[in-house]
Amino acid sequence: MTITRAKRASTLLTTVLDPRGQPTIVVQPQPLAPRLDTIQGKTIYLVDVGFGGGWEFLEETVAWFSRNMPSVKTTLLHKKGIMFVDEPEMWAEMSQKADAVIFGVGG
Amino acid sequence: MPLASARFAEYAAQDSQNHGMKLRFSFPPYPLVGRPREVLRMYVEGNDPVSGKPLMPQIIDGFTRPLTEEEKKPKASRRKARPRLMQPDTEENLHKLFLENGWTDGAPIVLPTEERVAHMLTGTAADPNEVVGQMTITIHQEKLEYTVERVAVNAVMAGAGPEHLPVILALAASEEGSMPSSTTSFGRMAVVNGPIRQEIGMNSGLGALSPFNHANTVIGRAWTLMTINLGDARLGETFMGSTGNNMNYNNMMIAENEERSIWEPFHVRMGFKKDESVVSLFQGWSAINSMGAAGCCRPAQEEMLIILQAFPCLQGALTLVMDPLVAKHLKEQGFDTPKQLSKYLSENFKMTAGQFWGSDVVYSLVEPNARNGIEPYASWLKLPKDAMIAPYTVPEKINVIVVGGETQALWLTTDMWHTKTVSIDRWRPKAGAYREDEQAVRRRQARQKRHAAALNASGYDLK
Repeated sequence: MTITRAKRASTLLTTVLDPRGQPTIVVQPQPLAPRLDTIQGKTIYLVDVGFGGGWEFLEETVAWFSRNMPSVKTTLLHKKGIMFVDEPEMWAEMSQKADAVIFGVGG
Repeated sequence: MPLASARFAEYAAQDSQNHGMKLRFSFPPYPLVGRPREVLRMYVEGNDPVSGKPLMPQIIDGFTRPLTEEEKKPKASRRKARPRLMQPDTEENLHKLFLENGWTDGAPIVLPTEERVAHMLTGTAADPNEVVGQMTITIHQEKLEYTVERVAVNAVMAGAGPEHLPVILALAASEEGSMPSSTTSFGRMAVVNGPIRQEIGMNSGLGALSPFNHANTVIGRAWTLMTINLGDARLGETFMGSTGNNMNYNNMMIAENEERSIWEPFHVRMGFKKDESVVSLFQGWSAINSMGAAGCCRPAQEEMLIILQAFPCLQGALTLVMDPLVAKHLKEQGFDTPKQLSKYLSENFKMTAGQFWGSDVVYSLVEPNARNGIEPYASWLKLPKDAMIAPYTVPEKINVIVVGGETQALWLTTDMWHTKTVSIDRWRPKAGAYREDEQAVRRRQARQKRHAAALNASGYDLK
């Protein structure tokens, strides 16, 4: 290719197709749950989703509440199934029994 | 209050936004797994490394601080529809655009011009506007939808020709990405069976897994590009594989060596007819090469039991990719069918309960089954650490594929499970097969004849 032809090729406009898939979902906004005035005297559920180290970390979190906010009642539990599956019955139970939830530890 | 470890702060924020929420995340340092108690206590008492604020007061503040208007009434959102055509530009700029937007695998692509895509579409009878499927590489993110034309665009980018399109469309129709987003860094394998292997010149023989064959190369690459563009794989946003996996470049794209195998082809064992063309997909992480000649010092099946100790056995599945010589050797050992080999491995492979439960992924993903009383996991969890278990409980999950050129009796042991088998014939052109350039066909036939002559000259009897 001569220099002139190469230069011309570099300035010619080309039209190409977009390679990406199309978005499918209109995200339905979800408001956050109402907040508490205080957590003193309240019941907090701590749920381990199952990633390695999460249970031990949450045990230390429970210990922190015992040392620093003894009026807070804590319940530590494993998520029943694996971390990738939603469990509506677990959320239903917690909405009855818990004032607040710590859910983790992701990753 | 959601907690995620700090390495996933960006991912968690994006994920929460994608679900229409603005969650009040807190982030302890990463990793937590394997850290001593005193370190975890320090993390609880220390700062969130993302916000720089003390972790526990931040969590308590998250419970009690009044909601903002945005938190009370978040706005609905949707990503904009992608146009069919990009803005015209010079080739140099377009190459740069595709590279910088992360729409490639990093290697140069063929730009998908209208003319090239139209030519690609001659490889199928399907309507360009037909919706092929939806894909995502994560299980909780938005799926993207794609048509036959969008698949053809990615096929052009990969350097494929119209003759490869039916296989590429079958891969797209599987709705499975080649790079599922797991921090554990998955790899995939795709195995083609049936007449199309020969029609498009796939390599199932010598060096089938190495980069010497146009069809294997471009079809495997097309699956990767589709996963990026149709499955929305974005590094650090949706793809979080820690080391990544070099299988992701080509996804072990091969054809089975049906002609040189002493066993029935894989797809026939799965219930398909021999003259049906299909692609079977596998997912796992690793492959170990047996290296030596089967039968030299101990039979291949015994060597397999030793190699299997390297895998955590998360899925109770494995796939052996073996040279035709190994299949023949195993038949001589008394395994008349692959099913018999699968049964032998399932019954004879053993590991200690301690080794099984000691794996991080097994702990995360199998231990919940044990806690829920699901057998045999519930019983295995109660065993002493040195008790022996046979973790490949289902022989049907042990697969055998025959591939190779008979220069060495070796096999690959992979921890892959079979996910699905998809029809290729569904996507063929009206004429049944794309009419290729005659010279290319003649050249390929000459190559195949040379290989066949070399095999015949070796004196190895297949029967």
